Amino acid sequence: MTDTTLSGVHLADSARKSRIHETFGVALLLLAPSLVFLALFTYWPVVQVAWQSLTVESFGGATRTGLDNFQRLFADARFARAAQNNIVFAVGTVVPSIVLALAFAVGLQETTRLTSGLRTVFILPVMIPLVAASALFSFIFQPRFGLLDYYLGSLGFGTTNWIGNPDLALWSLMGLTVWKNAGYYMLFFLAGLQAIPDELYESARVEGAKAVQRFRRITLPLLRPTLAFVVVIALLQVLTNVDHIILLTGGGPSDSTNVLLYYIYQQAHENYDIGLAAAATVVTVAALLVISAVSLRTLEHGIHYEG
Amino acid sequence: MNALMRSAAAVAVASGLSLTPAQAATEIQLFFPVPVQGKLANEMENLVARFNSEHPDIKVTPVYTGSYDETNLKTRAAIKAGQPPAAVIMSASFILEYVINGEVEPYDELIAAEGKTPAEFMDDFWPALHGNALIDGKVYGVPFHNSTPLLYYNVRLFEEAGLDPDNPPATWAEWIDAAQKLTRRNGDKVEQWGVMMPTTYDYLGWITSALNMSNGGQYYNQNYAGEVYYDTPTMLGALNLLHDMVFEYKVMPEGVNDANSVTSAFFAGQLGTMILSTGSLSFVRENMKEPYRVAFVPRNVRNAVPIGGASLMMPKGLSEEQKKAGFELVKWLTSPEISGHWSRFTGYFAPNRHAYDSDEMKAFLVEHPDAKVALDQLAHAGSWFATYNTVGVRKALEDEVQAVLSGKKDPAQALKDAQAAADALMRPYVEATALSYLN
Repeated sequence: MTDTTLSGVHLADSARKSRIHETFGVALLLLAPSLVFLALFTYWPVVQVAWQSLTVESFGGATRTGLDNFQRLFADARFARAAQNNIVFAVGTVVPSIVLALAFAVGLQETTRLTSGLRTVFILPVMIPLVAASALFSFIFQPRFGLLDYYLGSLGFGTTNWIGNPDLALWSLMGLTVWKNAGYYMLFFLAGLQAIPDELYESARVEGAKAVQRFRRITLPLLRPTLAFVVVIALLQVLTNVDHIILLTGGGPSDSTNVLLYYIYQQAHENYDIGLAAAATVVTVAALLVISAVSLRTLEHGIHYEG
Repeated sequence: MNALMRSAAAVAVASGLSLTPAQAATEIQLFFPVPVQGKLANEMENLVARFNSEHPDIKVTPVYTGSYDETNLKTRAAIKAGQPPAAVIMSASFILEYVINGEVEPYDELIAAEGKTPAEFMDDFWPALHGNALIDGKVYGVPFHNSTPLLYYNVRLFEEAGLDPDNPPATWAEWIDAAQKLTRRNGDKVEQWGVMMPTTYDYLGWITSALNMSNGGQYYNQNYAGEVYYDTPTMLGALNLLHDMVFEYKVMPEGVNDANSVTSAFFAGQLGTMILSTGSLSFVRENMKEPYRVAFVPRNVRNAVPIGGASLMMPKGLSEEQKKAGFELVKWLTSPEISGHWSRFTGYFAPNRHAYDSDEMKAFLVEHPDAKVALDQLAHAGSWFATYNTVGVRKALEDEVQAVLSGKKDPAQALKDAQAAADALMRPYVEATALSYLN
């Protein structure tokens, strides 16, 4: 008896194991095409960049391995400037665009003719490619003759060199980015709001909760998963989209609008310093991974999951 | 011989015959950037189609490669991939880097095959263009279209300010004087500026070097790729001029302005003088409603400006047939006829001196005296930035000049910082060349 039971257990176990092996095999087979492409076009380049960052080249082609590229990178004031600009740019665009998006979403939650019209208006900038938007803003930002200065001028304001003043240029680009992105994040919040049951609001109303209280006690906590998601994609988006910087300022005046991604491009393609570009890439990607992980964890921490 | 074999032989002969001309045609590529407007790209396609029909043994495929910078990137990529184009229209200031990296072929052998010396070949081109074309006595770039900075001024505003449009400012002192008369204020607001110039990257380096040259300077070592002269009295004088225009005399707006802002103000009749490329002559002619004229860039010590524009170059890694076909194309594109045609179409100079011998070109210059002034200034032109890491080394200066224009730094400190930044960028090359005699 004991023997049979044992062997029965053993048999069942091995059958399960082989089934797992089988499903694993099928999964691997199905994933193989994607894996091949991922390996070729994502992981292999990543390995190459990491290796490149440790390869120290001197003029004439001699190479050796070392940390010199990283030393030079951290000693480069332009890199520090680009990193600092990137932080200002990220905080200064993500926070206002999310606040605006949330405000729009809550304000336009009910579907009426007016709100659906307004939604379209706010989503319009999302549909314009960043390159086209930048071309548009090169005219809007033009001192004296641009749209912005023209109307400000008729209100009695003087001329402003929006993207030619090093103290102002980054803020102008941030304005453009908020204009461009707020509508996009609003979409996510609108979707998130649909998932909040009406009964909660009804019972809150019955108990006499004011609009602000309803927002703070119901809407905000229940939107938290959406918020976590939006914060992460917003951060990634502002760090990876640099079209407007390339088109409008080229990182200038005097590097005041340079950011990490464009710094990497300049090192690789203007100064042909592949080692420095690779080191900057490694540092940037590492920072991105840390930011994504930390922001996802902290935001997910207090999430109320129903059910 | 049976029927089958006979017909097979007939097919072979027929196909062989029909294939012969196609096999003989050498296929090559031409990479070309379009620095200004879209219609230039169409015109280039037309020219290549004409070349192909006139040369049945060569088949050129024109490849539009974007801006000068993008063309540089794509050419490098094509060379690395082992598929180099036979001819590239390359910004004249980038060619030296290809020579340093051993990626470009000199035209000397092909020139010698025609029984000419490099000097004889280059004699067809304006002397100002030789500096960027000849490197170590070899022809690496054949000038295709060229420009220099030029002073444009509004005739009506000159008259209103009591200035004589027949005597535009020739010196920096006269320029400042005229600019002060041309600047009109309404309280704090400036309604009309005396001077504007594009001060964005690339343009700014070019204009700063023009002012440096007008001050007797030589901003880079034309014989050695690892040296620039930023922290010098002649450069300081040039930067002082820019600084004073903005902060002392307040005749030029503060900060950085792109070419669009400058031309908008000029076309709106609210700008007295501007510095812009001769390559924009056609653009200004088409858009300026009021009378305007052009003059040499004002001097302090001497009249001098750098050239700009592009040359044709030939990457390494081509077959003998491709090289010959490429050279055929280069000679055709820079011939007096095509050179003159392209010049009238774009506003750039024809680099080939003989283009100006034709009646068409003579008539054109009479009709457009502005083009004549631009051409006359070419006698005072010199070569353009060409160093190791040209773009970065130029940007090292531009970042600092922008800081001066924005009131962030004084000119002397800016130049010290620019020199240090440029020296750091060129150090690897300097250490491997000038500072090392062992290899």
